[in-house]
Amino acid sequence: MAIPHSKPALIVGGGISGITTAVEIAEVGKEVVLIEQKPYLGGNVIKMNNYFPKLCPPACGLEINFRRIRQNTRIKYYTLTTLLEISGEKDNFSVKLRSAPQYVKDNCTACGKCVYVCPEERPDELNYDLTKTKAIYFPHEMAFPAKFSIDDRYCKKGSCNKCVEVCEYDAIDLSAKEEVFFLEVSSVVFATGWKNYDAGLIDNLHYSDFKNVVTNVEFERLIASNGPGRDNLIRPSDNKVPKDIVFVQCAGSRDENYLPYCSAVCCPASLKHALSIQEKYPDSRIKIFYIDLRVSGRNEDFLNKVEENRNIELIKGKVAKIEEVGDTKNLIVEAEDILSGKKIKHEADLVVLATGIVPSDATLNLNKDQNGFLTEIQKEGIHAVSCCKKPMDVSSSVKDATAAALKAIQLTG
Amino acid sequence: MIDINPDIEFKKEVKRLSNSSLNECMQCGTCSVVCSLAPDDSPFPRKEMIWAGWGMKERLLVNTDIWLCHQCGDCSTHCPRDVKPADVFSAIRQITYRHYASPKFLNTILSKPIWLPVAILLPVIVILSILFLAGTLEIPEGTVNYSKFFPHAWLNGSFGIITVIIYCFAISGLIKFRNDLKARYHDAKAQKGFYRRFMTTSNEIVLHSKFSTCSAQKSRKISHLLVFYGFILLLIVTGFAIIATLTHNYPFKFTNPVKIMGNVAGLMLVTGLGIMIINRLFNKINYGNSNYSDWLLIISFFLLVISGGIVELARFMNWYYAYHLYFFHLVCVWFVIFYLPYSKLGHMLYRTIAIGFAKAIDRK
Amino acid sequence: MEKKTGVYICSGCEIGKGINIEKLSQTVTSEQNITVCKNHSSLCSVEGYELISRDIEKEKLDSIVIAACSPRVKTGIFDFPETIVCERVNLREQVVWCYEPGEEDTQMAAEDYLRMGIARVKNILIPQPYIADDISSDILVVGGGITGINSSIEGEKAGYTIHLVEKEEKLGGWSGKLYKQIPDKEPYNKLIEPVIKEKIRDVEDNPNINVYKSASISKISGQPGKFEIVIQNRHEQKITVGSIVASMGWKPYDANALTHLGYGKYKNVLTNVEFEELIKEDQERQLAKSILFIQCAGSRDKDHLPYCSSFCCGTTLKQAKYIRDLSPETSVFIIYKDIRTPGLYEEFYKEVQKDDHLFMTKGEINEIIEKDNKLQISVKNTLLGDDIEITADMVVLATGMTPAGTEDLNLAYRLGKGLPELKYNFADSHFICFPYETRRTGIYAAGSLRVPMDISASMEDAKGAMLKAIQCIEATKRGEAVHPRSGDKTYPDLYLERCTDCKRCTEECPFGVYDETEKGTPLPNLNRCRRCGICLGSCPERIISFSDFSINSVSAMIKSVEVPDEFEEKPRILVFVCENDAYPALDMAGRKGLKYSPYVRIIPVRCIGSINNVWISDALSKGFDGILQIGCKPGDDYQCHYIHGSELTETRSENLQETLETMMLEPERIKTEFVEITGYYKITEIINEYVEMIEEIGPNPFKGM
Repeated sequence: MAIPHSKPALIVGGGISGITTAVEIAEVGKEVVLIEQKPYLGGNVIKMNNYFPKLCPPACGLEINFRRIRQNTRIKYYTLTTLLEISGEKDNFSVKLRSAPQYVKDNCTACGKCVYVCPEERPDELNYDLTKTKAIYFPHEMAFPAKFSIDDRYCKKGSCNKCVEVCEYDAIDLSAKEEVFFLEVSSVVFATGWKNYDAGLIDNLHYSDFKNVVTNVEFERLIASNGPGRDNLIRPSDNKVPKDIVFVQCAGSRDENYLPYCSAVCCPASLKHALSIQEKYPDSRIKIFYIDLRVSGRNEDFLNKVEENRNIELIKGKVAKIEEVGDTKNLIVEAEDILSGKKIKHEADLVVLATGIVPSDATLNLNKDQNGFLTEIQKEGIHAVSCCKKPMDVSSSVKDATAAALKAIQLTG
Repeated sequence: MIDINPDIEFKKEVKRLSNSSLNECMQCGTCSVVCSLAPDDSPFPRKEMIWAGWGMKERLLVNTDIWLCHQCGDCSTHCPRDVKPADVFSAIRQITYRHYASPKFLNTILSKPIWLPVAILLPVIVILSILFLAGTLEIPEGTVNYSKFFPHAWLNGSFGIITVIIYCFAISGLIKFRNDLKARYHDAKAQKGFYRRFMTTSNEIVLHSKFSTCSAQKSRKISHLLVFYGFILLLIVTGFAIIATLTHNYPFKFTNPVKIMGNVAGLMLVTGLGIMIINRLFNKINYGNSNYSDWLLIISFFLLVISGGIVELARFMNWYYAYHLYFFHLVCVWFVIFYLPYSKLGHMLYRTIAIGFAKAIDRK
Repeated sequence: MEKKTGVYICSGCEIGKGINIEKLSQTVTSEQNITVCKNHSSLCSVEGYELISRDIEKEKLDSIVIAACSPRVKTGIFDFPETIVCERVNLREQVVWCYEPGEEDTQMAAEDYLRMGIARVKNILIPQPYIADDISSDILVVGGGITGINSSIEGEKAGYTIHLVEKEEKLGGWSGKLYKQIPDKEPYNKLIEPVIKEKIRDVEDNPNINVYKSASISKISGQPGKFEIVIQNRHEQKITVGSIVASMGWKPYDANALTHLGYGKYKNVLTNVEFEELIKEDQERQLAKSILFIQCAGSRDKDHLPYCSSFCCGTTLKQAKYIRDLSPETSVFIIYKDIRTPGLYEEFYKEVQKDDHLFMTKGEINEIIEKDNKLQISVKNTLLGDDIEITADMVVLATGMTPAGTEDLNLAYRLGKGLPELKYNFADSHFICFPYETRRTGIYAAGSLRVPMDISASMEDAKGAMLKAIQCIEATKRGEAVHPRSGDKTYPDLYLERCTDCKRCTEECPFGVYDETEKGTPLPNLNRCRRCGICLGSCPERIISFSDFSINSVSAMIKSVEVPDEFEEKPRILVFVCENDAYPALDMAGRKGLKYSPYVRIIPVRCIGSINNVWISDALSKGFDGILQIGCKPGDDYQCHYIHGSELTETRSENLQETLETMMLEPERIKTEFVEITGYYKITEIINEYVEMIEEIGPNPFKGM
């Protein structure tokens, strides 16, 4: 039986939102094309240690989603691929896509032999550059698609050629070129996601000056079992386990000098970190300095759990000054405890800045609001979803992505 | 327990003078932390910001902390809601002078641009009247000699009387301010003897030690020091001059040490005020909002010094317009010296009292 | 009919170095009556694929076993016609990468896994989907508030006929009672007109949306694709729909419990809902000189609503804003715990805050008393550095929301009339990644029924739930399962002749698949099934099976293992792992080169809740020394994808342990453990520790009997 071939929906961005939109559309029975600029799907959530409030690992849901993608022939995905142009109208868009050179071909078995011979190193983007990998690398142990990737900023290509020589499957082509191709699609969903705010810009918090001042996203890696410390939480200056940790809420957020809005996720994220630390190191001491604790809805239980923990202290007052102790590289944070009206100076081993969400850089010229977020309806048939539209947590993003799937199937009908 | 009864007019006045969107303060306490002068225990300016937002006039007018602030602007630079605590403090201080000053109309005419003609006419009319009474209300012939235009006795006499009257009012205001402070902080015990308080207070003022801690406004200590000492020096020189009119042949020669001192003071003031003007014009981010009162003071002060210099020059050069300039200079003197307790310069008086009092109750 | 199976062994990726491939294929062919057994250096290459494809054709194979890497990779490559049974034996991640190369134990593991693979292939069938006739594509939406209305509109746009049932005589719900609405995008300095008006018109004008007003639902029976709905308005109406969106919304928290805040005691203490209605009725009314809002009135409070309703901060700011727009003389006070205007609502907060007549502080209400017709509110722990007392003409309590409840759905399900509810009676999904997960397949909760949310969030949620409702219909048409085993075409097949009406399956199925006859015989509604296999695990008569997952298929795998006798001192441990989490964790352990005991034999299952006791006894009689079951975390923050699969297994194992004791066996021979997917370090430790313990206990006395 000939099925009338309908045009697929194009989903830009292979993070949790893009994956969800794609899978939800495909499971209705429609065609989808998912593109992702990184070599792997999973976006920011793959870098997270766990989700609040359940403290469960993102990999669990991703595994299911990856299986849904693997088994569903209606989903085509292209990694290392970006969108260059959109033309046309709803139901009938023509998109121009660019795939970066695919140095490692799909027949890579991920056996890992190449890594041993590769002489070059690159900062590991997955660990926010806190660690290094070889220039040819397996993005992470759950990487989907499960193949190696080459960072061409560090690979010496033909002049080295060691990986090519060692590969038994002829899976590496160092002379691969980028490819530009066109697709006809019915609708476009932007799920380009977010990056964390550049903490280096917040001058009084000295992120760039003091080693043991880290951002919340880096902390996700520091405490993750596949992070720099393996199964241990370590601090950057000396790889020791920090026992006294301070969380600085609204680091650059709700701040006219930096990000005027609230990112909605940093409060519960810090609570989550605090509980994760306590679970791992029950003798650790944690202080969370905040302006307002924004832990909405049923997450209140989660807040209560933190409040009941005697080693976690919640202090209303924003940290506005951080100083480094010369020899120990400990940090002295200063805030006004607003409810008691006293300044607090506290020495900590590690300071975590709860930085906010900024929309990822868009490759195209899209409609944005004053804060740089994409407007939801770019034009009929082109929608923005989740964190590139406004800051939100994972659950809300998935919800939003599911809603976007409905908008998309209204067009692929 | 505070009984809440917001004085919305006060709040609006603070907002007007400071150009701060006061209400947007979200009480994060950044300001209290970045302020290097704020004490550890109940630091400012966070609490004052909410008091201002809630229109709590009494709490703010009778308050040592408002005066411990040297308006360096660190709080305003770092404020996440851009509500400019430094400018709010400055506004509250202005409202304080006004509150304690009498007669009130002098305050009024200095508060808004619309009253500026009155503020100018007042000294013009008074000086003209004095000249009329002295019978010298005309441009004298011959080489320039200002005493021909305004005889020394008339000048010293009339300006002396006005000074005494104005400063009697000022002192009564200051005494009231101090008594209010005492009543407000009646719980706080005096911690130090008068002598030590006096010494530490004057030490702080003389050395400008509190200015050094500022990070947002680096050049502020220098400019303020120049203006402060230039002003003191000029006051001394004026004192000498008054004595000299009685005992010596005044005016002095150009090489006279007192004259040199006067000119040096003038230069110090011009430099200091110049830096202030440039900063206020071109570095609004760090130097905060400059309102009408700020500019009125700085400009009249600047004009005073410049006109003083020109008047001196005019005498040597024997210019025709020397007397007109001299008249203008006298009006400037009036603006700075007689309007002092009513203008921003009043901080010299109120701040001294407040710092002294803060030392007394050991408010660090 | 005996299957004709081809076995293909890959020697790539170090498999050839770790084990003796020749010996492996010899062992297998000699034992298993396998005529086609080939080795290749890279089965996933084009040549490898062609080799297999050719054989399928030439040798008329109906089944193949690929002994290579994990079935989690190269899925797209090993894609053979649907008529071919294909089994992947994981020699790479779970043998070669985690065991010492060339050792006897490694070889033995590889041999056993291959035997198990072949055994499985022989005992499974190609799934034939269950596709019911007359599947309805209509969708029922219950509740005509903003969520239901938006859900209906968006579902209709996708081409589906909608039936919208509302119990009131008017559509609109709470949003219909609003005077103004919070802006959810720029500009933030102006309140917007409630969007509901226009939406109601859209719904009522749409011929594809059938609206039933003043109506209730007296019965919902059936299953996805075929829900039979009985609607009562003036008369009884029966309709058939394919799926359901439940959007019955919320009720305000009962303020009568808030006497400590003066409600019911003083006439000028109102709730935010009452205040909104007051203003909507009459904007010309003279407003009081000062109005004070108390945030979290009965919310975030252990004695009332322990949670935050997330809309009240925004609502209060909105009300403050329109009070000030309507009455320039009124002062507004807001006493809050935390101002929660997350995300871009911060911009709205700032806009409202600009007003000179607005006074806000964090604080706790000490007392409210009435004096001279005015209210005196004393507040402690404020930001003003002191306790304060405010005199106001009116107090508005920002009360929260409670879910309307789902009992009104009147589900004719064995497991109850409503949707299963989480804490505080919200019919929410428990899963962060899957917010529309439901335990009543085909019925999706949306809006404040699910989680407290505001209008704009509800409108989004409405779309998401509608998408899932549509998806469920489409999947049902294809005879496929919906999430999490989406696309699965198998279904439980019950051999009812042998059923003893013990009701275990009807009780334990998390999704309410089974209704019952009066006698207690299960009546399966297959389209409700999510294919977790918990019923298979529960059945003592072993009458439930799936085409590719059955009592026999797993028993055969267990029995195929060569268990060395006790004198060899090589114990054998059977490890059942959850295929969603523990199995990938083992794969990742292999990738990381983490080593664990080669004495274990691993069998992935759909959920450890699907482990049938007979397999345990099979294993023990086969001579296995211990049985380890590794699933996902149970409890409040459960991670089990089938809700209580791991919990059930834990209970079942406890019972089994007692049985073991009566048989003079150590209860430790059965153990249940929980691990997260990222617990690759932990899972190897669990295995090693368990093996050590079993070695201490000694061999299974039934070994070799």
